[in-house]
Order: sequence, then C-alpha cells, then structure tokens
Amino acid sequence: MGIKKQHHLMRIYSSKAFTRSDHRYPKLDFSQQELQQRFKKQLTIEQDCTITIDSVEAQKPITENMAKMRKLLADQRVLWHKSLLQALMESKTILANTNTTDNRHNLYPYLCVLEDKDYVDIMIQSIDELPPSGEALKILAKYLGGRVNTKYSVRQKQRNQTVEKLNNIYDTYTDLVAKDGKDFDTLPREQWCKIVMDQSSGPSLQGGESDLPFIVTLELGMYMVDLMVSNIKINSDILNPDFNKKFIPLIYHMYTFRSTRQVGFIKPHPILSQIQLEAMETKLTFDSYVMPMLCPPVPWNSVKSGAYLLTPSQLMRTAEGATQHVELLEQCKNLHAVLDTLNQLGNCAWRINKPLLDIIISIFNDRGNDKLDIPPPLSEAPKIPHFSPQDPSSTSSEKAQMKREVSNARKKGSEMHSLRMDALYKLSIANCMRDEIFWFPHNMDFRGRTYPCPPHFNHLGSDVTRAALVFADGKPLGPKGLDWIKIHLVNLTGLKKKSSLGGRLEYANSIMEDILDSADNPLTGKKWWMNADEPWQALGCCMEIANAVRSPDPTRFISHFPVHQDGSCNGLQHYAALGRDVIGATSVNLTPCELPQDVYSGVAQQVEEFRVRDAKNGVKIAQLLEGVISRKVVKQTVMTVVYGVTRYGGRLQIEKRLKEIDEFPKEHLWEASRYLVRLVFNGLKEMFTGTREIQEWLTESARLISKAGYSVQWVTPLGLPVIQPYHRTRRLVLKSQLQSVFLTINYDTKQMPDTVKQKNAFPPNFIHSLDSTHMMLTSLHCYSAGLAFVSVHDCFWTHALTVDTMNKICREQFVALHSQPILQELSNYLVQKYCTGIPLEAKKKKTEEYLELSLCLATVPQTGDFDLQRVKESTYFFS
Amino acid sequence: MSIHIFRQVELMMRPACCQTIRSRLCLHKAVLPPVGHSGRCISGVPVLHRRAFSLDSLSSGPGRHTLGQSSQQPLAERTSSSALAQRNLSAVALQGKCRPLSRYDFLHDLLDLGDVEENRLHAQSSKMARHYIVDPDLAQLVAQLIEPEDAKTVIFECNPGPGVLTKTLINAGAQRIVALEGDKLFLPKLRELEGRLDGQLEVVHCDYFKLDPVGNGAHGPPSMFTDKLFNDLGISEANWTDDVPMKVFGILPMRNIRGTLWKMIYALFEQQSVFRYGRIELNFFISENEYLKLVSCPGQNLYYRPFAVLWQMACDIELLHKEPWESFVYTSKQSFPRSRLPNDHLCLVRLRPRANLFSNGLTPSNASTLLMMIKQLLVKRKDKLIDMLDHWSPDSGSKLLEEMCLSEDILTGHVYPEEYRRLFELMDKSQEFKQSWLYKEVLENSERGGWS
Repeated sequence: MGIKKQHHLMRIYSSKAFTRSDHRYPKLDFSQQELQQRFKKQLTIEQDCTITIDSVEAQKPITENMAKMRKLLADQRVLWHKSLLQALMESKTILANTNTTDNRHNLYPYLCVLEDKDYVDIMIQSIDELPPSGEALKILAKYLGGRVNTKYSVRQKQRNQTVEKLNNIYDTYTDLVAKDGKDFDTLPREQWCKIVMDQSSGPSLQGGESDLPFIVTLELGMYMVDLMVSNIKINSDILNPDFNKKFIPLIYHMYTFRSTRQVGFIKPHPILSQIQLEAMETKLTFDSYVMPMLCPPVPWNSVKSGAYLLTPSQLMRTAEGATQHVELLEQCKNLHAVLDTLNQLGNCAWRINKPLLDIIISIFNDRGNDKLDIPPPLSEAPKIPHFSPQDPSSTSSEKAQMKREVSNARKKGSEMHSLRMDALYKLSIANCMRDEIFWFPHNMDFRGRTYPCPPHFNHLGSDVTRAALVFADGKPLGPKGLDWIKIHLVNLTGLKKKSSLGGRLEYANSIMEDILDSADNPLTGKKWWMNADEPWQALGCCMEIANAVRSPDPTRFISHFPVHQDGSCNGLQHYAALGRDVIGATSVNLTPCELPQDVYSGVAQQVEEFRVRDAKNGVKIAQLLEGVISRKVVKQTVMTVVYGVTRYGGRLQIEKRLKEIDEFPKEHLWEASRYLVRLVFNGLKEMFTGTREIQEWLTESARLISKAGYSVQWVTPLGLPVIQPYHRTRRLVLKSQLQSVFLTINYDTKQMPDTVKQKNAFPPNFIHSLDSTHMMLTSLHCYSAGLAFVSVHDCFWTHALTVDTMNKICREQFVALHSQPILQELSNYLVQKYCTGIPLEAKKKKTEEYLELSLCLATVPQTGDFDLQRVKESTYFFS
Repeated sequence: MSIHIFRQVELMMRPACCQTIRSRLCLHKAVLPPVGHSGRCISGVPVLHRRAFSLDSLSSGPGRHTLGQSSQQPLAERTSSSALAQRNLSAVALQGKCRPLSRYDFLHDLLDLGDVEENRLHAQSSKMARHYIVDPDLAQLVAQLIEPEDAKTVIFECNPGPGVLTKTLINAGAQRIVALEGDKLFLPKLRELEGRLDGQLEVVHCDYFKLDPVGNGAHGPPSMFTDKLFNDLGISEANWTDDVPMKVFGILPMRNIRGTLWKMIYALFEQQSVFRYGRIELNFFISENEYLKLVSCPGQNLYYRPFAVLWQMACDIELLHKEPWESFVYTSKQSFPRSRLPNDHLCLVRLRPRANLFSNGLTPSNASTLLMMIKQLLVKRKDKLIDMLDHWSPDSGSKLLEEMCLSEDILTGHVYPEEYRRLFELMDKSQEFKQSWLYKEVLENSERGGWS
C-alpha cells in the first residue's frame, strides 16, 4: 500500500540517525524566567483579543483643530455605543421570542456567546477602520463575524481553565529553549507533547473549543452591519451649522455597479470621513494576532494546536469553509517533519533595526517617497480636477479627456490611501516593537509553502519591512562573514548579476567609499543606496558593513544581519532535476560553472535566433522587433511559465514590457506581444525538453483524474498530504435585512471537480509542493546543525557566519530530495488511488476512459542523463 | 396577499389620473391600429415576416402582469405602408421648397442594388460579428420606415457593409447620407459609390458604436471622437429643443447590446458625444429580448430596471418593425442569445429623445445624480420608495410623495419613468437632498469602460 508506506525521507527524519544526540539545537538567548515573563505579557494581550498602539503619526504635533475633532469623535463614540447597545438588546429580545420557520438561522444563540458590550465594541471599532471609499458589505460582514468568532474562542479557553494549564506547561517548556535550561535531545514539539502527557488532568489543549461555522459568522456580520446602519446617527449640522439640523445615519448601505454586477457597499457619511480626516487619530487598534508574539510560539503539536497561546490559528491556510485539507491532515499519522519545520521557523527571534526604522519613519511622516517605496500621505495626492460637463468652451474629446482625468485622480487617491494605510500599519507595528524581541508563528498553504501568521508586518513583506527586521540573535562574522555581507549588498543592488562571487566581492570593495557614505549620510550624502533594486535593505547592509569594518576585529564583530541566498529560477530548477535535463540543468545553475548562468538571457538569445530567422523569411512583425528583444522583455514570462502562466497572461506581461520601450510603435503592441509570447514558449520548449514532457504528463494526468470525478491528491516526500480544492461553483444566497449576498463557493467537495483548474494548477502546485519540501528539509537540517534559518519560499536566510554551512545543507538536501524516485512514487500513488478497478457494470465509454487514465498515470516520463550529484558543487545553484 | 392585489389595482389606476403622456399614446394607438404590410412577397427571396407590428408576442411575455395593460403600453406602435405612402405624397407636395428630391432620378435610372448573392458573399467575408441587410425588399421596407426624404435631416448609416440599404435610401430620395463603416473591407466599394454620386453620400471609416472611447491607450480608426467626426462633416452643435437634426440607423452589434445602449443613454442625459449636436434620433435594430426589456413597464419586476426607466424617460420609443433573424446576413457562427423572453426577431426601434427632457430642472450637469438615484432605487424593486427617500434625507419621504400624489407605500418598481423624473426635479430643488450623500456619489465607469 503506497499510501501507508512511509517515504524514504520521512523514514530518515523519524529515525534516530537524524534527530539525536550529535545534533546541537539552537537555544534562545533568554533565561527561563525571562521567557516566562514574556509569556505572561503575550497572554494578557491575547486575552484582550485586541491591542491598541500608537501610530507612527503620533510623532506629529497636535493642532487645536485636531484636538477639537478628536474630542468630538470621542463624545460621539459614547453616544453610538449607547444607541447600539440599546438596539442590540431590543433586537435580541425580539429574536429570542421568534420561532424561525424559514431555513435561515435564528441568530439569537450566537448573540449570546459574548457579552452585549463585546459585540458593540467590535462594531464601534469597525467604524474607525472603514475607509472613506467604503467597503463591500460581504467583506465587512466577514470581518465583524470573524472578530466575534476569535473572541468567542478565546473566551472559551478562559472559562475552562485552559489558561492556567497552558501557563504551567509553558513554564516547563521554557526549560528546553532557554539558555539556562537543560540540554535536551528532543525537539520542541516532542518536548511539548511530553509535558502535556505528564499533565494529562484538566482541559485538553487540543482545540476542544468550537468555532462558529463560516456561514454563521457571515450572517452574524451582516446582522451587525444592519444594526449599525439603522442605529448609528449623527447630527447633520455637527460640522456646518448652516445645514438643517437632522439626525442622519452615520454609515449607509448602497450599491456600486461593476459591469453587470451590483455590489452592496457600506460607506461612511462624508461628514464622518471629514471628522476622521481632521482628527487624524493616532491610535490604531488591531486584533492581537496581527502583532508578532512576545514569546516563542507554542510549538505545533497537532493539527489544532500551535502558534498563538489562545488565539485560534490554522495549521493550513484554506478558503473559509473548506474542510478537505484539515480532514486529510487529521487522518495523517506522521506530520512531524512538517510541524517541526513550522516550529523552527517560528522559533527564530527577531528585533527591529532601529536606526533604519527611524529614517523610514522620518520620510513617512514627511512627504513619503514613491521611489523609495514609502507611500506619500493623501495631501500629496493629485487634486481631483473640477470640471463641468456643461462648459461650452471644451470639445467632447477634451471632456472625455477631463472625465478620464477625474476618474484617474479619484482612482489614484483611493490607491494612495490604501497604500498609505498599509505602510502606516506596518511601520506602526514595527515602531511599537522597537525595543522588543519577538517571534513570528508560522503556518502553511495547502502545498506546504510556509508563511508567518501576522499579516502586515513580517519578513515576507516588501523591501521596507524586510529592512526593518534583523535577527535578535547575533553571531560573529567569522573569517568569511564580511565578504558574504558585501556580496549580499551587491546582490541587493541588482548589479553584477553575471559576475562570479569573486567579481561581486571585488565590485563591493571598489565602491567602499560610496557604501560608507551611504551608511553615514543616508539622506544627505551621495545617496548611492537609493539606486539599488532593494534600497532599504541595501542601506541596512551598508550600515552593517560600516559597523563591521570599523570594529577592531571584523571577524569578531557580532552581526544580526540576515544574508539571503536565492534559488535561480527555482521552479525550473526542480523541473530540470526531475527530468535530469542536461541543457536545462546547466541554464538554471544545477551544473557547476565558472560564472552564473542566466536562464532569462538564454531564452532571450533563443528567441532572438527565432526572430532573425523569421525576419529573413519576411515576417513583418519580426523585422519590426529588431533590437527590441532583451532579457528584461522575457524575464517575467519565463519565470512564471513554470507556475502555469498561459499564453494569454504571458502576452500581457510582454506587452507591458514593450510599452516601456518608448521607441517601439504603440500600434503594433498587440501583434508584437502575441508573436513574442509564442517565441518564448517555443524557446523554453527547446531548452527544457524534459520539463515540457513532465509538465504535459502532470497536466494530462490531472485532466483525466478530474474527468473521472476526483480531485487531484498527492503526498509530498515529507509526508504532507496535498489536495487541490478546485470544484465547480456552487452559489449560496445569504439573506439579510439589507440585501441578499451571493456567495460563490468553489471548494465544495460535493461538487464535481473543476477540470480546467485542476489540470492547469497541478503542475505549478506540484512544483510548489516540491520546493516547500526542499525548504523544509533544509530547515530541519539547519536546525539540527544549530543554525538560524528562515525562508521566503525559495530565498533562504541565515547569519553571515553560517552562509557556507546553509549552502552546503541546501545543496545536499536538494540532491537528497531528487534522488528519490519522485515521479515514480507520484505515479504509484495516483494509480493506487484512482485506478481501483473497473466497476463491473461499466459502460464501454467508462471502461475506455478508465483504461486511458490508468495508462496515463502509469506512464512516467523518461528522464535524461544529468548527474544530480553535481548540484553539490554548483556555486550559483542558490546564490 | 391582499396588499399585493391592492398594489396591482392601484398601479393600474394610477396612469389614468396622472400620466398624460401615456394617455396621449393610448389615443395614438386607438387612431392608428396596427396594420400589416402588403406586397412584400417576391419570388426568389426569403419570405419576410408579416407580423410586423403585432403585439402578440409582447403580451405573452413571461412575468408580465396583464392588468391595465391597455392603458400602460408605453410604446407607440404606428406606421403602416399606407400611412407612409401618404407621407410620401405630402413630401412630394412640399418639394418646391427644397432642392429636388434626388437629381439622380432625373438623370439616370435608380441605383442598381447589385446581385443579392454577390452582396451576401461580400457581407459574409467580413470578420466582424455583425448583421447586414442584403435583401432588397427588407432594405426597401427599412428605407421607408426611416423616412429619408426629409431634406433637413442627415442620415447616419452605421456599418452599411455591402451598401444595399445605402443605395435604397438614395433611391428613396435621401439628400445626405453619412456612411460610417468600421470594417475596412467594405470601404473601397462604398468610396466608389461615393464618387459616383453628387454629394448625397459621404463615407467615413468609423465605427459608430465605438465613438468616444473611454479607456486609456491608443485609439485609431475605426474608433473616433465625435467632435472630430462632426467637425470633419461640417455639422455644428444644435439646441436640444430644435428639430431632430440627424437620424442614425444601425444594427446593434450582438456583443454587449446593453453595454452599448447604456453608454448612449449616459451620453444622452449628459448631452455628451453625439447628443451635443442636438436630439439625434436613433433607429436601431436590436434583439427582441432587449427591446422587450427596454419597454417593460412598472410592475414587471424582472425587467423593469434602470435601463428601461432611463430610456423611457429620455425618449419616445416606437417599434417600427420586427424582422426574423434569418432575414439578415450574419457573419458570426455564434447562435443568438437565449433568453426567457421571446427572441426570434430583430426589432427596428426608433428612439427619439424628448424635446422637453431638460425643461423642468433636469440638466445635463445634475443628470448623473438622477442616473445614480435610479440605479440605487431599482436594485430592489420591491422596496418601498419612502424608505429609500428617508434613507437619503430623513423624514423627507412622505412630503415628497404627497407632492407627487403617490401613495406612501408605493414600491420602487411601481413608479413610472415620468414620475421618477418629477421626483428627481423635486429632490433637486430641496436643500435637504443636496446635502445627502447621493450628490457626492459618482458613477464610476468601471474596469472595462463598462457602463451597464
């Protein structure tokens, strides 16, 4: 039985040989007592469910008007709270005495899981967060209902003494991770489970509490929106005494029209937006899970238990309401490797790079800077041009032009608002954490790719947020560390991509003057760093280099700086390895070479050859494209082809690139991009023969499986079960007082699979499940070697000191992974799962389809002659 | 249930007391009962339908409540060949005032329409999904219905294709035709015809349905801006209340009929695009189901939507003719859109903008608020109008309804287009509504430049 049989890699992982005594697990740089105190702090935050922090805009001075408006808002909030509470109580009384005969839920029981005041608090909070342009009813309802659910879940734990037990277990657990704790040869998960076993009395920590069903949270949310719309009022003359005094609704329900759809929207009354704008309130309230944790996360020890202390969290991120993933995970006997990886990633302690954050905030609070990716405030937004359609002096094309400008300005304004708010959240969280040490609990998507749970501020974010983060733990640079940091800096600039590591180092040394100037005078000097691809990380890097070279002994300089190693076109690397594709393997650096190979240039070259040939044959568009084809034109398409981009999407990407080339005649954009995307696809086919065959086999298998009525399912070499959640759409109508909301549910396993999605998504999903496996293997081995390790999918981070070790492990694990008969095992699994025998009474057509499926699944593509071991010597595999 | 019945009855009664426009239409209908055509059967060409003006299929449409139908029929059905013939006579009688109907007539025989089969092949070679008229009898009928003999009115023919109707119109005495052809394929022959004539025909490479593009990016022919087109043609702006300066004839492209019509109704209310040049009369073949939606009445819950309300408010709508799909040459293999409504015909509909549309407070600049209001009100046609009004301006609803002589519990789906216009005019005069958010909302023409 293939399903039950453990994969080789899992066996290695579970065996004594892997886990035990010769391994040095990293300890955290804290005493047990410190960790226990941090736990208490975190616990308090999570018990409150929300946390209110100062925004970075609080550093601005308060004007008289601001103070007035803030007072106004505060007074109003008290009134709103009162009327909402009143309305809620009345409404509950009515509901309690209503026998619902229709198939709608009577919400009464769900209005009793929290105290009345809690519901009202949640509603009032949502008013502060409503953007001036409003929010779709569905989204707002989901948000409100979700908050009720979180609070409910936390309350349950508080009620049944879980908190106390958790406290005891955590105290004991700190023994394993604290620096003054004992040495163990167990992993955090094992230790946690052991302690839980020892304290088996009392409530279970295994998520005994129940969640509200997704549909109920939505209905609850819509109920709350309705309550708000009909009960929160404001005086219409509150800002302008000239207006008639009337009690008007503060937020209102209306529709926006998007092509043929009507979307219900909740918008704040312009008066409210005006007050909010002028008050410039500087407190931000977040759900507690939005903040990084102040103590190491609870190690994932089962599908239901891990990450935050009290806040419910999902091991696997899924569409709300999709249950198939969790069911599979719960059936799974051995998820240890996967859980341990998440725990290790979550156990990495972080802190803020304060000097850098301060520079970022100063620009943010000034006027922002688009070039440096600091979104400017709305005051910098283009003024919406005033125009009257009646002005007789302008022609209709001028009017059309003006109309377009108005609409663009409005669009730009709302884009800027959302970018600004996003940055405000991130920077405010970072600023709030400036003196803390913190952790990001992790979970994963259904293919095993891992993500930090806190949504805004984390190391997966943009250049700005990445730059603000450093490892809390410092390590000396050692003999080669400084060189690695310098190489890392050059990588961040985006320059010298074709140079060897030595070449990059040499380049860095040749511009030391610029680097030091950037570090010393970031905003007043020559500003070399601002031209880098990733300017903020580059600036951070400059500062680290400056500090290191000025220290008495750079090799002993304690560095907190994460150095990155990037897979070069990681998707194609996995394909090339699967197919043992010699040419492909060389072009994505699986083969050792003097200089890094650049697959994008390779494809561009191939495309150019095709073009020249066509131009000679008199193809007009090919002649027109002379001198246009470059690495840049094809890069994005090549990169995404592996992940299933279609010709359609590819054409759009190429069209975008061509648009950027000013000399290229705009009227030929469509034709040229259509022509080029064909050439890129052909070029890739020629270079990656094995890849194409594997991709086609995967696609065809998925098509037949789906046609036979199943969802495609497989197990990664580390034992993670994967199922594709794509089904035909089911519509669900939720009725409420305000309007009916239509939900389109496309993950319902009772529906037939969506064949198009199943087949198109299988190759990229499969490759993602492999790259996540590679990352997990690397993480597990780094951890047992005592390294700090975190990842952004195919980009691995560690200290400068340990880059070489991580690189070695990364290559070894890639080889170990692909030494497995991955495709053969996939084939075995699929055959065993989907070809269980022909039903006796099957019709001829069914039988034929069955045979076609069996044949396809059993026919594993041939592989080439690439010698996998060579990866171990390849410098530019990850670099 | 009893309330429901009450509403139906009320709905039936109301037009009698406050809908003057409709009663005029009723009169009209009584005077000019539908009359069928004669003499359309010629051997060798497909037989064309004679049920031209029958209302049978209309009244049998689903979802339509039959109460009060006779008094509510908003469309005016009219014209018969005999009526047309009389008109022709009177036009001839007036000839002295303008230049001779067609000098061509004096010098030559009528223009040769060409071989039907050849025209058909020519039309079919187009790569755009369109309908074309090649049948000479159909062309003849359409030409009569457009009434081309009025010398002051320019005729815009959209996408004439092989030019059968163009020639027929000229033969029928049209003085000035502008052929707007979007498909290059047909241009040479049209231009050749243009050259043979004495100024009656101007050919422009332009797709009428792509006038005034809204999206970003490069625009070349056949998409064009109206002012360029009209400038080139030497046509100047006109007052709204002037006579109809131009008639447009076209067969709406099947793709996105409603989107196209939405774009036009927006332009009409804001007097943008072609409507800067006066009350342009539109004569379009549209699919039967879309036509039925266009003329649906209050109470037809499924179809009485902003689309219908706004068109009925803005225009006199007349069904000129119904013609089976098969009578046209269709260049696409796509089948006709299915619909719950009958959809066997293309309907030639005349949309003539009302001269008094902007006479009572509605202006092109506040029209966008009217559009917003109608769209908001008719999302749910079973909501009470008073609730919606109070929603915009608390405690104003009952006063407004009283002024309008409407009952307090009337549903939004039961209010006539005219009433909506008056309602808006009242609201626009009141300061209270000016403060409402309704005036701050703007209809975004979202992503695809979609207007629907």
